[in-house]
Amino acid sequence: MAAGIRFARFGQKVLILEKHSKAGGLNSYYYRKGRLLETGLHAITNYAPPENKHAPLNRLLRQLKIPRRNLKLRQQLTSEVVFPERASLTFSNDFGLLQSQVALHFPDSIGQFNAMKDELDRYDPFSPRPKISARKFVSSFLSDKLLREMLFCPIMFYGSSDEGDMDLSQFVILFRSIFQEGLFRPEGTIKDLLGLLLQQYKDFAGEIEFSSGVEEIISTDNKITGVRTRKGEKIRCDCLISTAGLPETKRLFAAADSAAKFSELPEDNTCGRISFVESIFLLEKSASKCFSQGRTIIFYNLNEKFTYRRPDKAIDLNSGVICFPDNFVGGQEDNTIQIRVTHLANYDLWLQAYNDTDKSRYQTMKIYWTGRSKNIIGKIIGNCFENIVYEDTFTPVTIERYTSRLQGAVYGSPNKVKDGKTGFDNLYIVGTDQGYLGIVGSLLSGVTMVNQHILNRI
Amino acid sequence: MTIDEIKNVILEIIQDIDDEADLDNLDPTEALRDQLDLDSMDFLDIVMELRKRYQIQIPEADYPHLATLDSCVNYLVPRLKAA
Repeated sequence: MAAGIRFARFGQKVLILEKHSKAGGLNSYYYRKGRLLETGLHAITNYAPPENKHAPLNRLLRQLKIPRRNLKLRQQLTSEVVFPERASLTFSNDFGLLQSQVALHFPDSIGQFNAMKDELDRYDPFSPRPKISARKFVSSFLSDKLLREMLFCPIMFYGSSDEGDMDLSQFVILFRSIFQEGLFRPEGTIKDLLGLLLQQYKDFAGEIEFSSGVEEIISTDNKITGVRTRKGEKIRCDCLISTAGLPETKRLFAAADSAAKFSELPEDNTCGRISFVESIFLLEKSASKCFSQGRTIIFYNLNEKFTYRRPDKAIDLNSGVICFPDNFVGGQEDNTIQIRVTHLANYDLWLQAYNDTDKSRYQTMKIYWTGRSKNIIGKIIGNCFENIVYEDTFTPVTIERYTSRLQGAVYGSPNKVKDGKTGFDNLYIVGTDQGYLGIVGSLLSGVTMVNQHILNRI
Repeated sequence: MTIDEIKNVILEIIQDIDDEADLDNLDPTEALRDQLDLDSMDFLDIVMELRKRYQIQIPEADYPHLATLDSCVNYLVPRLKAA
């Protein structure tokens, strides 16, 4: 949508083909019991004050021609990384809090931490280069293993498509966007933000078709000539931008040689393995007495080492993210409290259950694992789960079904296409698989790729 | 277009990009980038807006000519003569 706004803004004819009936992709919404629930949003990263003009958020808004004052932004209160019985670090949108927390809990490491931060400030994560191990980089600065694991926990949970380790560029982007910039929500819901973007796109005369997925990308020689939609309609184009993802886009070529021309990387190398199960709980207002207040997000880890990979079991309960969407500055009064709990999950096991001849197995599995999750989360935040008004759980299978990300890989491919280019000279990859991360990052990816590759052609 | 008209067009485009830009205290001989905190993406918008409004193509190699308000005007005068 950002790419579309950018292109339409300069008088070009743009059509967005959206597979789903609603906008938003991974960050959409649905209704249950008359209440709007967001599909994936915990918080938006990259908070920046209005006067910081070069911050990604403000650059993005200028490029989309959306006045910052049209968005009422609610900053996080404080968030926390908790490794129970070992250590806890709180952080907010003031980086100084994290620095003081490191100084307090890891006094021998604060010098190393600041030296690492200075080095990260000098690093350009957007220039194409081979992968560098973030774990090796961080270890070269921080000698304290626990501190290292505590920093990787939120960074990996909020954007890493790699298992175990991650590319240094991705680490830099996430370190900046989570710790140095920070977390916020727009006032209202994700639907309001999507509505604002859609309206801007339409105001520039952009066109959009919903429930109109692309079935095939049509090419001749080095050029994409058009697409065929699920409805059988053939649409010609001069230029094509895909936000479907790298392996997902590759599957849209009917001929093997065209697919190979698009990207030589086999699907095994480009399909992400990281996916999640998330439960949304709506609790009676009185439940707030039961748990600790004032936290926006809690990242927890029970083991000595933080393990970030597809688990052998359906869900990895050893770590997780607990989000309190009501706990942002200026939170709106509601008669319920919402808590979202996220764990790493195994796509294959959830898919097996979903496809089982016993149709109740998938549902039973959800109930079993959500119950176990509640037990563990209750020990961390206080037991509040006796007051549930409504709960819903989505799995990697749900994510794949609604977003078409293969294996429910929320953060996409571990192999990013940093320049957005493909084997075809008028087809570009935009979004998470281009290497920008998060909501602001994905939108900025659309802007940047159109700026670099398309606007100079018209 | 006259020199003053071109100047006003550029200021109007910049104001449109950043409505909080302090144009009253702009020194026409100093870099726009430094005075208004603009970045390369904002400069692309100036170029694209000129293209949209007056159909003039500004190649990337010529972007340094847009560094200051005065250099913008000097560069655009011959190109917008008939506009």
